[in-house]
Amino acid sequence: MTMTLVWQSLLAGLANSFIYAMVGIGIAVIYKGTRIVNAMQGDFAVIGGMTAVFALSSWGLPYPVGFALGILAGTATGWLIDRFCVRPMMRRNAEEDAFLLLTIGLAFTIGAAVLYFAGRDAHLLPGLGGSGSVQIFGAFMPVHAIWLIVISLAVVFGLWAFYRWSIIGLSMIAASISADGAETNGIDVSRMRGYTFALGGAIGALAGILVTPLIAVSYQMGLGITLKGFAAAILGGLANPLGAVIGGLVIGVSEAMAVVGLSSGYKDVVALGIMLIMMVLMPNGLLGHAGRKGG
Amino acid sequence: MSRLSLWIVLSVLAICALPFVLERHSTELMIFAAFYAIAGLGVGLLLGQCGIVNLAQAFFYGIGAYASAYGTVVLGWTPALGMLVGVGVAGLIALAIGWPILKLTGFFLALATLGIGIIGTILFFEWDWLTGGTLGIGGLPPLSIAGFAFDTPDRFYFLAWGVALGLLWLAHNLTNGRPGLAMRAVRDAAPAVEGLGVDIHGLRIKVFVICAMLGALAGSLFAHYVSYVSVESFTVQRSIVFLLIPVIAGPRVVWGVVPGALFVTLVPEWLTGFGDIHQMLFGLVLVVVVTLLPEGLTGLPARLGRRVTR
Amino acid sequence: MRISRYFRAATAALALLSAGPLSAQEKESIRLGAILSTTGGLASLGLAERDGVLLAQKVLNARGGIKGHSIEIVVEDDSSNPDAAMSKINTLIHSENVKAVIGPTGIAQTVAVGALTQREEIPLLAFTGMGPAVEASRTCVLHLTPAQGLNARALLSYVRDNGGKTVGVLHDSGYGQVIWGVMKDLGEEFGVTFTAVEKFELSAADATAQAAKVKASEPDMVIVLSSNATGFRNLRQVGLTQPIVSVHGTALYDVVRAMGDASDNVVYAEFLIAEDPLPNQTEFVAEFQKEYGRLPKHFEAAGWDAVMAVAAALEKTGPEPAGGALCEALRGPYPGAFGKYDFSAPDMGGLTLEAFSYSLLTKGAFSRLPYHAK
Repeated sequence: MTMTLVWQSLLAGLANSFIYAMVGIGIAVIYKGTRIVNAMQGDFAVIGGMTAVFALSSWGLPYPVGFALGILAGTATGWLIDRFCVRPMMRRNAEEDAFLLLTIGLAFTIGAAVLYFAGRDAHLLPGLGGSGSVQIFGAFMPVHAIWLIVISLAVVFGLWAFYRWSIIGLSMIAASISADGAETNGIDVSRMRGYTFALGGAIGALAGILVTPLIAVSYQMGLGITLKGFAAAILGGLANPLGAVIGGLVIGVSEAMAVVGLSSGYKDVVALGIMLIMMVLMPNGLLGHAGRKGG
Repeated sequence: MSRLSLWIVLSVLAICALPFVLERHSTELMIFAAFYAIAGLGVGLLLGQCGIVNLAQAFFYGIGAYASAYGTVVLGWTPALGMLVGVGVAGLIALAIGWPILKLTGFFLALATLGIGIIGTILFFEWDWLTGGTLGIGGLPPLSIAGFAFDTPDRFYFLAWGVALGLLWLAHNLTNGRPGLAMRAVRDAAPAVEGLGVDIHGLRIKVFVICAMLGALAGSLFAHYVSYVSVESFTVQRSIVFLLIPVIAGPRVVWGVVPGALFVTLVPEWLTGFGDIHQMLFGLVLVVVVTLLPEGLTGLPARLGRRVTR
Repeated sequence: MRISRYFRAATAALALLSAGPLSAQEKESIRLGAILSTTGGLASLGLAERDGVLLAQKVLNARGGIKGHSIEIVVEDDSSNPDAAMSKINTLIHSENVKAVIGPTGIAQTVAVGALTQREEIPLLAFTGMGPAVEASRTCVLHLTPAQGLNARALLSYVRDNGGKTVGVLHDSGYGQVIWGVMKDLGEEFGVTFTAVEKFELSAADATAQAAKVKASEPDMVIVLSSNATGFRNLRQVGLTQPIVSVHGTALYDVVRAMGDASDNVVYAEFLIAEDPLPNQTEFVAEFQKEYGRLPKHFEAAGWDAVMAVAAALEKTGPEPAGGALCEALRGPYPGAFGKYDFSAPDMGGLTLEAFSYSLLTKGAFSRLPYHAK
């Protein structure tokens, strides 16, 4: 085992970390705003990635337009889900397991719909900054992976500012912490929930578009990345986008090290094992203060 | 209650008469429906009585199937011993896993079971010395009890549905007796029950173990019927189907798993003529049921009744 | 609403359309079954096979069928799942009374289904190579693609004869795992050392860490054993410049498209290079291009061959073969578009190293290499 190999694996793990983190951030945003764990976050990514692919390759639109359309598609899906599924269920005070079943059902449906409309082929997008790699101390990293990391960090910072300073951001948090209290202060709780789902959809779609140059997007990848994203979010304490980045790093890097040190077949066992142990032993995540119920 | 009993008696009679009128392929589907009813009953008990979403049932189903396959083909056990070992091992593993994770609730517990289900599939893949990996294990003997072999679809049909209905009857009595009362109380008002001195954690573990053992029993029956097992049958997708069984018909009524199991076996078969769109239609049905019919399809007649009388 | 109804209707319509002296609709049609994975994980193979099967049916019936009987193929989908295949095979044998079954697509399905068809003496023309030991006694289960040992030898021959001494291997946990199981014992025979062997999950979208490990072992060439594009892309992403040698399972147009920029400097040991077909392949390639407006690969050819081989055997036995007679008639040499078969060989396929064509992938395009394995 050479040092270059460890370093190369670390870099590969780093790129994966931010993919998981982006999905985890979306899960965290929706949980923060609605107290619902969204089991179809990965499918927002599939929708975003696929829309961008078809905008570019079938309709011949320029890259920035395809990028924007992909995000728009995710945003619209998020909003529609809130409007037509979540709202009627909230009205009758549905239980937690019902929401989970809803999002699992949606994941199943969206995967199948993408298969039906877009076919079973996996598709790639051109990378930001071309398809080249840069060499960092003897190991390779795709230029696009660096863009992915930069954009993820920008999203985390943007969200932090949004929740801290913007009226809508503050209202979204207020609406989720105490619906009744928010209502008496003149906040339209169900509209805030709609915004939250739209924001989650947008972040999910962005994750999908950013992932597609590295991992070809296909109809069946939703559940897999949802689970990794969830593991990242859990590690970060679930309601904290910054925590999801740290959680993503732990998962991505330990996966990469599992491949180097252990048999590569057990990569996912390691990632999911960490998630399970964390859930049981450290219910508040690595950062330790973001409370969640049910842990 | 009496109307429900009437329905149950009618369904049981219909199930007994079916093999005499159905063509072979339909009998075969009905046998699969029985496996699904048994495994789904376990998931349904957890969901309906304790409010726990279990996404690891295919893992326990696989344990039952592999125990039967490895035991009878490689070790030369009798089918009954293989089945017994499978159910026992599944119960023990459920106990070991359930003890730590059943401290979680809600979303977190559900996703923890999903994680366990995925780890299970990977292990089935990796441990090919035990499971045959991608190639699987073939050549299981037909199930026989006291010299009577269940080697035709009709015979197996009566065995599978006999077991399924017997277990349903047991579960029915269990949930309508004191244990059921305690379980539902835990589901609806856990803190209050804890105050009364009920061991909630212990109760949840017991139901989880029963669920796993039912899954393993179904898996073992399945393995003997198709005489071949491989990893493809024990994926997370299968766990999701098991979860759908109680959800579709409404998890609070134990007997709901029968229409649920029929639904997940027959509807995809009818829809397969439409090609890839059938999965999408299937998913949409689930979404609609969860969004609009909280009591599932079995709650539908009552719901419509309320609408009309109002 | 079952899929078979559609095909029955389609064949009836075809029979009506096919005019000619031997009007096929007057005699009862001969019914064949097909179990293909047209949905699920193996769908890209299953759909390709189905295209070939349906084309052969159409061409055969247009030519007047078999002794005036048209061919009717009942196509069932097993969703890439062995237990679904088991339930479909029972339907085909007992309810549809088919004379022979084309398929299945996957190895596990073939092992499962073969137990039944062998007992009933119904020929099974599987699109898999011979797998576990139990298949050696199944003389009525014919294999239209090479056994895994032969695939492994075809790759190692190329490596040895083109100056490769050390090889890294990246394989997936399904198809790749099965080939690697045979290949690992052949290194010494071919004078090849395996410097690193890495596995990735069938469903994994990323195997960069494994690819890095293979690259770090600095081999002369890398062998990829997989059914998707992931491994190829990841090897190039970590900067691997050595040639990649791979099996026919990924020599498919859609897999190559999914490789993106990585579809370069890849050598395939495969069977049908439609851009430059062999003489025994030109008829099939022309018919296929006429029908579908695109080029076929070898899985389409195997689908075509399976139907044509059964048709040739039915010409010998007549439309109502006695028990086991059709198997007996099939057991012998058959010159296919995929390659020259000998179904009486011990591996029930009889393909040899000479059957392989080697192609080079350059910027997404296949071209024939002058190399021949011996």
